[in-house]
Amino acid sequence: MRIRPIARHDIEGLKVLARETGVGFTSLPDNHEFLSAKIERTLAAFEGREPSDDRLYFFVLEDDRDGSIAGCCAIEACVGTDAPFYHYRLGSLAHSSVQLDLHRTLDTLTLCSDHTGDAEVCSLFLREGWRKDRNGALLSKVRWLFMAQFRAAFPDKVLAEMRGVFTPEGRSPFWECLGSHFFPMDFNEADRLTGMGQKSFIGELMPKFPIYTPFLSEPARAAIGQVHEHTRPAVAMLKKEGLRWEGYVDIFDGGPTVEAYIDDVRAVRDSQLASVEVIASDAPACERPAVMAATTGMADFRASWISHDVTRDDSGACHVRLHRDEAERLGVTGGDTLRVLAG
Amino acid sequence: MSSAPMLVVRPAESRDLLALERLAATATPRLTNLPAHRDRLEERILRSQRSLRAEIDFPGDEIYCFVLEDLDTGEVVGTASLRAEAGAREAYYTYRQETLIHASQQLNVRHEVQTLSLSHEVSDATLLCALSLDARYRETDADSLLRRARLMFIAQYPERFATELAVAFPGYLETRDERQVSPFWDSVGQHFFDRDFNEINQMAGVRSKSFIAEVMPPFPLYLPLLTPQARAAIGRENPRHEYAMQEMLAEGFSRSRHVDIFDAGPLLLAECERLHTFKQCGWHPVRIRPQESLPDAVPAMVANQRLGDFRCVLARYALTPTGQLMLTPQQAEVLGVEEGRAVLAVPMPLPTMDEGEL
Repeated sequence: MRIRPIARHDIEGLKVLARETGVGFTSLPDNHEFLSAKIERTLAAFEGREPSDDRLYFFVLEDDRDGSIAGCCAIEACVGTDAPFYHYRLGSLAHSSVQLDLHRTLDTLTLCSDHTGDAEVCSLFLREGWRKDRNGALLSKVRWLFMAQFRAAFPDKVLAEMRGVFTPEGRSPFWECLGSHFFPMDFNEADRLTGMGQKSFIGELMPKFPIYTPFLSEPARAAIGQVHEHTRPAVAMLKKEGLRWEGYVDIFDGGPTVEAYIDDVRAVRDSQLASVEVIASDAPACERPAVMAATTGMADFRASWISHDVTRDDSGACHVRLHRDEAERLGVTGGDTLRVLAG
Repeated sequence: MSSAPMLVVRPAESRDLLALERLAATATPRLTNLPAHRDRLEERILRSQRSLRAEIDFPGDEIYCFVLEDLDTGEVVGTASLRAEAGAREAYYTYRQETLIHASQQLNVRHEVQTLSLSHEVSDATLLCALSLDARYRETDADSLLRRARLMFIAQYPERFATELAVAFPGYLETRDERQVSPFWDSVGQHFFDRDFNEINQMAGVRSKSFIAEVMPPFPLYLPLLTPQARAAIGRENPRHEYAMQEMLAEGFSRSRHVDIFDAGPLLLAECERLHTFKQCGWHPVRIRPQESLPDAVPAMVANQRLGDFRCVLARYALTPTGQLMLTPQQAEVLGVEEGRAVLAVPMPLPTMDEGEL
């Protein structure tokens, strides 16, 4: 299994992914024009043709046995510069009066665009049959290796929007209590428009004044900053890297946005460059590979798990040994440099 | 109607304190601006007396407190006040009903959202307030006299009042567990104060309402986020005050976008000159006639032209062919006028009310 930038011929594979994602996965609608535009944007970004603030790096996870697409993930280099990028910020407002013997703190939700200009890791999806062998971790973490390698291409901060709480019937209590009053449309329609890149227009319909959360229903309040149960492992993985919830939530489903300074992300900080030595044998099967490796070029970027640990010589330089099939998968030969991350 | 009680509206005096206290305690529902609190009421009477003595060129923080006395029994059976400037020295807070349009051409969506915004807009108006009447006199001419005698006072001393008048009516309450609760307060104020409606009303009465309003959250409230019960209460008067409100609408007041910040009761507004009383009232020389020789005529409010000794009585709109107003000796005595002195008179009936177009 390896990660590589998406290519034009991946369109059919991408459509399969789009059909398999469900409600709440807004960035991958099953729409040919939309998906092919996404691919074109990605190609431009990887080839350095895109204007600097509209870069999308879209990766696929390819099963190198038959070339099928098993999953995807992406990085938006700079959100909110083209169209506004909205969140609700959960804040609190104290109101007190000594004479009235009153001191209370009320939670508020305030519409904001505080994350304008930040990078976003997004669009992570892994197909059912491949949810094993740490493929999910590969999709999630490859983005940190990419950002570490091309650090200058990214801003100070990064965020990730997590899917919010839905009932088993697919209804969002947060949406039903808040958004539904402001849009004459149901969640799926709003969700579809969001996926089509119309989220900013929808944001313009949202209440601009702060919302006092006590005015929301109990289920809606309980959904603020909470994730869908299927999303918990993804959140856990991001939190391990040092991303934190700072009170920003999605304007539709109330799901949390986690964030960090890119330089503080554990994988960015801990990844290192290592020179390659190739062993003339194929790697033994391994269910829990421990080291992730990525190439150092942008247009031909590749990443995968590898089986040997990184070693450090007396001069402090790092080395990594690859089996022949691993080197082929990454497209490297002896003496090349890889960015590696243990764990 | 010879058995009709002899009624007079006059400025409150210190001797009225106990009666005021009783009226404050029996007001239904309790009024924020008429707290059953002896010190506050005593202060109000003194302040009213000071206001009447002061030379005033333009409205400020004066309060004029009046009582309705039934001269047949010597009992004070009602009270009502005027606040020359609703928000004098502080601010008069209301919630203003507004509409925001959320529209997106790209999405072909246009959606109206109702909000309530804290407003000080009514602060400069003169406020008719703190009316409480003994239940035996409700919805009689005494009720109308007490309510509208204040307009007769304003008509005589326009420099003391704003040209815009406001009157607030108690909001809609529900009875729950034998207690009166405000569905609007429960859905709004309760979140911010953690006190029930009656408690906060009492605090507001003893201190001041704007004092509490200053602690109210500053942002507009989106109506769709309130409970249906709270939304239904917005601008809805307490059923006990329906008659009073209809009378003020007939008098020429209009419904406004403003509602009370505690119970969402309606606030009516009017420009003085649009009111029936202002348009119809006129000065007439007095002609004193024995009760039995007065012709039959519609009821009228008749006021003398004295500031500190203001009196307004219920009489008959009985005019001589030369425009003199006929009063009984007793009425003239109560008003403190002799034959030939001028009084301000206005017929009581409000056309729309009589025609039953309510």
